[in-house]
Amino acid sequence: GVRQAQWLTKTKLVEGLPPSVLSIIDNPAHQLEGHEERVKRAISHARFWDTMEVAPRREHYCPVLFEDLIHLCRLMSAKYPSLTKRMLARNYKISATWERESILLQVRGLNGILMNSMAPIPPVASKEEILATEEHVLETFYPISPTIDLQEVNVYKELNDTGFRDGYPYSHPHTLFFLESANVRTDRFRPEQLRAKMLMFAFGNALAKAKVLYGNDPKVLEQPIVVQSIGTDGQLFQFMVFQLNTTDLVSSDGIKNLVWIDPDQNLYEKAQCIPEVKKRVVTKPAGIYGFQPDTFKKFLALYLHGTV
Amino acid sequence: AAKPPAGAAPYLDIGELRSLACDALLQESFYQNKKRPFLYRDQDHTPGPFLTQLVSTLAAFLCGRNPLLAASSLDLKPEVNYYWHHGEEVVVHGHRKGRVDPVRFQIDDHPHLQIRVPKQLPEFVPLESDLGDVPVIDHKPSKLPLFKKQYENKVFIGSKAADPCCYGHTQFHLIPDKLKRERFVRANLEDQIEVVYRANGIASLFAWTAAQAMYQGFWSEADVTRPFVSQAVVTDGKYFAFFCYQLNTLALTVETIQNNPRKNICWGTDSKPLYDVVEDGSVKGFNDEVLLQLVRFLLNRPKEL
Repeated sequence: GVRQAQWLTKTKLVEGLPPSVLSIIDNPAHQLEGHEERVKRAISHARFWDTMEVAPRREHYCPVLFEDLIHLCRLMSAKYPSLTKRMLARNYKISATWERESILLQVRGLNGILMNSMAPIPPVASKEEILATEEHVLETFYPISPTIDLQEVNVYKELNDTGFRDGYPYSHPHTLFFLESANVRTDRFRPEQLRAKMLMFAFGNALAKAKVLYGNDPKVLEQPIVVQSIGTDGQLFQFMVFQLNTTDLVSSDGIKNLVWIDPDQNLYEKAQCIPEVKKRVVTKPAGIYGFQPDTFKKFLALYLHGTV
Repeated sequence: AAKPPAGAAPYLDIGELRSLACDALLQESFYQNKKRPFLYRDQDHTPGPFLTQLVSTLAAFLCGRNPLLAASSLDLKPEVNYYWHHGEEVVVHGHRKGRVDPVRFQIDDHPHLQIRVPKQLPEFVPLESDLGDVPVIDHKPSKLPLFKKQYENKVFIGSKAADPCCYGHTQFHLIPDKLKRERFVRANLEDQIEVVYRANGIASLFAWTAAQAMYQGFWSEADVTRPFVSQAVVTDGKYFAFFCYQLNTLALTVETIQNNPRKNICWGTDSKPLYDVVEDGSVKGFNDEVLLQLVRFLLNRPKEL
């Protein structure tokens, strides 16, 4: 799970979201008007109304919910014109390779939807926090090898590719979105593994970008690179902010990378498609139950991060 | 169509719009590393994602000027269906042979993208206007490729009746690979290219507006009291054709069509290229007119707003 990913990416975990994101959430100027109503409408649209059948399947409603939430976030560009400097990239491919205590690791392939922006996100942690990670000791799992459950492949080319050509104007990876939309529960990632996947791919994107910007030599970065990541299965949301401080990953000492995780945020408890009827009496009418507006506020804050 | 009314909005920055459109196009065709397109799936590889990007970024850019867009709902690959009766035929064989039946039509459409809004767009011409005659076709509709077999009677605008965004604003259609321009040119059927765009526009818009009317409670016996208006853009990624449709009547069955002077009207343009070619990271021959027309479509809204 996440602990293994932390060792592989030489990262220190911090619970909750970083203060810069929290300040966006708390600032009422950054809210969408009537956003509760619109988010409820988006959920109803994805879970109830979008199809001719009675109840759409997860493969259908998970991407629809995501598109609707992104549409709501994009409408904020009326207030902040610099938000138009963002571009979504679907089906893009990333590759990044690094060495970790004499084990060669790589992250490759189609993963999720990436949102790029023209301007990078400013570093989230202060210089003192970065230096403080030097003392932090990475958790090891002796006697379990840290590469357990990883697929072993023969690699002939050590590739580092951000997925885009040079000269691309939207060159900074901003947020990665992961949608677990398989219908069968066993095909979906559990929340813990989803968080680990998010961490690995956020790290891969940041590393590929760092190698493009600063070259292949391992070093501590003057300007840390920040990549955010949001994962969901249509109901439960995982929020993550990753900051790459160093590309010196061979040894386990020295400055570490940082990640802030806000796990398991429910957007709503239950979406009842048909009313539940017991003994000819409607016990639970159809609708959304347990709506939590804070989850959307965090989604929006991560979207706005870097521009406000 | 007129320019946005003076005094309502500040000067529309055409340079900004052009750069947004070019960025979307360059990303999908040039900058993103993609594998080669699948066989006969060219449309999914570049023009499809380009259209999605273009519409979503333009809609977000323009929502400050058009409050209807700010309340809109964007659907990706929705389904639009409509079922209606028109004309009569005699049943040919079977146990009901010899009886007279209405001819049933069903359209099942899959636009690439559509925008639904909570308020109806304003009418273009009054309800009872007559701008021409409808051509009459004598043979059965199943001889035409669109209405071969009729499976399920479905009426759907893209979301169920409970959705507050129950009126249509704009649809975006992608021409499938089988009907590419190059194929028509190779087969010496150049005059048929425009026909494809027009047929797609008329059929899809009729189905959408009629389904919207049906959601509001009108049907062939209770005809519409106000016109239903929607727009559509049909494209193959490079050539864009624009259509506006006004639904004035739903009464098309044999009984109701006898005294019905109203006609539905569709306005459309020919297909024009948005750009000439993309090479080496820049777009050559960008056509501002086509982009402006798209922007005017997106800015369309009721007069009160």
